[in-house]
Amino acid sequence: MSFVSVPFAVFVISAVLLYYLVPVRYRYLVLLAFSLFFYYLACGKYIIYIIITSAITYLSSMAMERVKDRSARIFDREKKKEAKKWLKKRLKVIMVICLCLNFGILAILKYSDFLFANINRIRVGYFGSTDMWGFEKLVLPLGISFYTFQSMGYIIDLFYRRYDAEKNPLKLTLFVTFFPQIVQGPISRFRDISPTLFNGNRFDEDNIRRGLCLIIFGVAKKLIIADRLSVFITNTAAFYKDLNGTYMLIMVFLYSMQLYADFSGGINITIGTARLFGVDVTENFVRPFFSKSVSEYWSRWHITLGTWFRDYIFYPISISKKLMSFGKKISGISDFLGKRTSLYTATLVVWAATGLWHGPEWRYVLWGLLNGIIMCVSAEMTPLYDRLNRMAGWKKGGFLHRAFAVIRTFVIMSLLRVFDLSFEGIRMALSIYKRILLKQGPVSLERISSLGLSTQDMVVALIGIGLLFAVSLLERKKSIYDRLMERTAAFRWVFCTVVLTMILIFGSYGIGYDSADFIYMQF
Amino acid sequence: MEELVGILKGIHPEIDYETENGLIDKRIFDSFDIVTLVGQLTEEYDIEIGPEDLLPENFNSAKQIYELVERLMEE
Repeated sequence: MSFVSVPFAVFVISAVLLYYLVPVRYRYLVLLAFSLFFYYLACGKYIIYIIITSAITYLSSMAMERVKDRSARIFDREKKKEAKKWLKKRLKVIMVICLCLNFGILAILKYSDFLFANINRIRVGYFGSTDMWGFEKLVLPLGISFYTFQSMGYIIDLFYRRYDAEKNPLKLTLFVTFFPQIVQGPISRFRDISPTLFNGNRFDEDNIRRGLCLIIFGVAKKLIIADRLSVFITNTAAFYKDLNGTYMLIMVFLYSMQLYADFSGGINITIGTARLFGVDVTENFVRPFFSKSVSEYWSRWHITLGTWFRDYIFYPISISKKLMSFGKKISGISDFLGKRTSLYTATLVVWAATGLWHGPEWRYVLWGLLNGIIMCVSAEMTPLYDRLNRMAGWKKGGFLHRAFAVIRTFVIMSLLRVFDLSFEGIRMALSIYKRILLKQGPVSLERISSLGLSTQDMVVALIGIGLLFAVSLLERKKSIYDRLMERTAAFRWVFCTVVLTMILIFGSYGIGYDSADFIYMQF
Repeated sequence: MEELVGILKGIHPEIDYETENGLIDKRIFDSFDIVTLVGQLTEEYDIEIGPEDLLPENFNSAKQIYELVERLMEE
């Protein structure tokens, strides 16, 4: 069931009506029932995987609570110190078992093909084997990367003793399966979402207004911009061998806009739908195309994934005793390298993992590593950039300096996305880069039209992108919703009617169109 | 405290650490800065900072960082 479909609208309306009809303390059960029903409609019998992950997470969390209780019953000061060590050790064992089980499911379902393909390549190439190892084709359940990471964040937080475990198994299952965020995240933190998810929220007109407003924005981004560009980008990538570098550049920049409109539009629908129930879901984007560096971009784009990797992988690796003392040893040889050993090792590990999270292919690993390398190089180049700015007469932080940094970041991030589009692998990505660099040529509107973007479509898409840019500029100080709420009710009605009419007139739907799946759904 | 501000100035000299209380929330310190800071605090104060301590509420201001260091020195 697509988020942008009539059945989904009917599903959400039914859930909202029932939610506010039942007594407050049972409202979380309505959300749970609808979440499981949604998942069953999407995945059928494969719902078993998300149930297993919920069960493993719940049982592990309860085991952790029991260990904590046992340790808390020791009052003797001497024994307390020992008990603390014992507690940490026990919690670690439970956490590791839980991580292995849940990541194990993810690894088998998502990465076993990739692993066996590489093993088979080595076996055929070096040992002359003729039989192929591997499982039968496995089905990847909807949102597995998202709900696995969300559940494991919860378990790691319990290990750090950041909060107490949820004792109600139904509430914990709701945390794992909550339907608005199952398709493409965000990866919520338990502490952030649990109060409004579990407590049963009273009907609030503002929640409904805000939710509907976000949903309308999301649908507009998806149908007017993302889906309109989708056919052209898919066709241009498919026929890249027949096209010159200018088409590749157009594809790359339009893909950046498509991905943003698609993903942030989907997140708007997610946050808006959750808001209809009064549930607060974490924002996943803060105007990423206004970033002045790659690292800033990643603190504004898919924020919940970035903070997950930062908190649960980057920090533990970079400040680990072993890596820090290794860095000190390296300092004996080179102070420059020693100071950077733990930082840059952790960066590269995290970005290789982030690449793999996006897909079990080497192109994604390389894409991730390139992001990490650019960040490390940028950190080293900062003094040089400052010197160049001074030479150019640009004031640091001034308009020209910021504009240059923003455009540079946009170009770098767009060019890196070539790996996303290169469905044939790294060679295809290299070939596209080669075309961009060496095979620039003329472009014709007819050819673009034949690739799936007519002149009218292009005008609509460009106006849509312009409006998206204008909204981003406006949201620097206040969200568009808050700005709307400052206006009269009549203005708000007119505004929403105009946006809805634009969706009806300019949205890519109806006969001949099928609302494309969200791009991040495949991850 | 002065010593700590000296360390912080080494990372971001342009910040007024007496008044600034949004080092993390305002994205003044990124993850690279935090790791650099943790390395220096570990060495300077002979403390052990774990991933569980790396929360925004411990690093948003010089005062919060100072309190974290004091707490870890006591442990």
